[in-house]
Amino acid sequence: MALDRKIAYINLTTGEIETKPIPISIRKKFLGGRGLDMYLMYNHIKPGVDPLGPDNVAFVSAGILVGTLASASARTHVAGKSPLTGFVGSTNMGGFFAPEMRWAGFDHLVIKGKAEKPVYLWIHNGEIEIRDAKNIWGKTVHETQQIIREELGDRDIKILTIGPAGEKLVRFANVMTEIKNAGGRSGMGALLGSKNLKAIAVRGTMDIKIAHPAEALDYDKKVITQVTSAKVSQTQGRIGTPFIWGATNTQGLVRVRNFQLNQLENADDVEAEAIDEYVIGMTGCFGCQVHCRAKYIIPEGPYKGVYDEGPEYTAQGAFAAEPGCRSTLTILVGNHLTNIYGMDLLETGSLIAWAMELYEKGILTDKDTDGLELRFGNDDAVIEMIHRIARREGLGDILAEGGLRAAEKIGKGSIKYLIHVKGMSNLHSDERPTPALALGIATASRGSDHLRSRPAIDLYHLPEPVLRKIYSQPVAYDGPLTSDYRDYEGKPWQVFWHETCYEAVDCLGICKYHTTFLGATLPNFEEWSKLLYYNTGLEMSPLDIWTVAERAYNMERLFNLREGLTRDQDWLVDRYFDEPTKLGIPGIQGKTINREKLKKMIDEYYEHHGWDENGVPHPETTKKLDIDKEPSHML
Amino acid sequence: MAKETTSDTTMESLAKGRSIGAFRCLNCFERVIPPAGAKTYKCPHCSFEWRVFWISPTFPRIRGPVWDVNRQLAAEEVRKQRKGGK
Repeated sequence: MALDRKIAYINLTTGEIETKPIPISIRKKFLGGRGLDMYLMYNHIKPGVDPLGPDNVAFVSAGILVGTLASASARTHVAGKSPLTGFVGSTNMGGFFAPEMRWAGFDHLVIKGKAEKPVYLWIHNGEIEIRDAKNIWGKTVHETQQIIREELGDRDIKILTIGPAGEKLVRFANVMTEIKNAGGRSGMGALLGSKNLKAIAVRGTMDIKIAHPAEALDYDKKVITQVTSAKVSQTQGRIGTPFIWGATNTQGLVRVRNFQLNQLENADDVEAEAIDEYVIGMTGCFGCQVHCRAKYIIPEGPYKGVYDEGPEYTAQGAFAAEPGCRSTLTILVGNHLTNIYGMDLLETGSLIAWAMELYEKGILTDKDTDGLELRFGNDDAVIEMIHRIARREGLGDILAEGGLRAAEKIGKGSIKYLIHVKGMSNLHSDERPTPALALGIATASRGSDHLRSRPAIDLYHLPEPVLRKIYSQPVAYDGPLTSDYRDYEGKPWQVFWHETCYEAVDCLGICKYHTTFLGATLPNFEEWSKLLYYNTGLEMSPLDIWTVAERAYNMERLFNLREGLTRDQDWLVDRYFDEPTKLGIPGIQGKTINREKLKKMIDEYYEHHGWDENGVPHPETTKKLDIDKEPSHML
Repeated sequence: MAKETTSDTTMESLAKGRSIGAFRCLNCFERVIPPAGAKTYKCPHCSFEWRVFWISPTFPRIRGPVWDVNRQLAAEEVRKQRKGGK
């Protein structure tokens, strides 16, 4: 059945491997994927460990619905203590890896220690081998997968790998699978690199028995219709996530030239429709009908003819808005390079833009940049800096340490211009006009993060009765809600609701684009309750699933608090409060975040969680969620 | 215990209010319907002008602003707001 997949403990120092079943009691409390990883993380990582030392632990997992008939049940989750922030490290990616891992017999891998020499794991039908990786160490993400498939003689093997950036311990290195499925943010690629673990290859033919197959098939068809009929899905399937730019840059909600402007004017070549001119088709992840991933060939320059996939909305920010560039080609090439190096493009672009502002202000000089003219709008400099960061050359070596460490090394007041939360760079969204989005990045568990709790539909001006329907289930809510994204009222509930929704979808292993993230009519708790029952046999109400997500998010909070998180770190940098927006539609010009109102929103957000004024869960909260005895070491 | 599959969930019922062929003006947020195939569209409520892309022949979306028009309108509106002490 769908719940019989195992957990494997792999010690790379000793070579010992142990497998265990996952007790149903733990399943009911955390489901799988991110939720169960958070339980494991709190139990297996000792407080205060060096994130790049052998005592950190890497967790690789599949959500509980992955590989079943549920649509878009493709997600792989990777966790550990973040080398970038020192707090929760957690990343989630699509592709085909996690379903294959389940078919190979495993739901969760707990990887401890450090291999003496580079290795990779080969997992197939219940067996796990540790193999020599000398042939793939130093290879790009794309090369590595090709070599492993050839070495093992099976082109259907699915591979999770790091690229050269992970090997070089770039603190925001990704784990990657396929051409561009990226597990970004929080540096899980560096974590695997620190263990000398280059890749994990999986192949399985162990069927997952569906609990109620006929009903599961029928119900999944219904959910597929619900997803594919949504306007947002049709748009994504046509032009991918770059479609978001049409709403955000148009209004002036984009972070430009680091944080100096909020709109990239006259940037028609950055728009989704301009990128679309180079797209040769769309493709998708396992079990998904939306197909939001573009396939493209680089049209000119040194990389002419190279195939890649994407770019996503984040690439428009990283390689256009933030560094103030306006070239489609820079977006296509920047996306390709970060894919093959295995490096978080969002962090990369943000740090390059930061360095550009430092250069233009004279804090960095030609001596620091080895003669590179690091000015805004210099496309060549952006591409050059991607190479230097991935290879840890010159200034690139400093930026590879992440913003906070780099600011410490550069000094001269450089930290004033760094746009981050908890040491992680922001997405290129400008949240000064949108208090709900600002609250989300200020409080997110893994640092500044648009994927942890962002109420993106707040930008849609949905009528209040519609908002009321969405946000009053599965938990009743009769507080304020407002259609105006510039308001502060009611936004803490929206952030809390989305945070819980996204945690739940990550426990299930379903893509966020199939829930209430970018589309207001996409499935959530009610649909998931049925999908879970038909596919796995687990009977859980919408409210039960909500509670699992709340429990898992509290585990993240407890982990961060144990690592020294304080309320002061649930906060934004001063520029949000002191520098008003200058461009865009009239309604958002001159906007800043109000400090007092943000403080009040944070208080309210803590209250929704059942946390005290310092953001610490009340004893009754942990008791209610049945995590008051953690770490319990039950698994 | 079988779960009932026929009645609409909250999200399915919300989907019934979906408007095809319309988009919200990104300045005044009124719902507007551009003529089929239009490349640009001026909002009848606020005069902001948008470049339009068609996802399908019946499904328009805003690609971006008509930069010069909207920049001027925004400047005028901001000037008015400041004069009015808003």
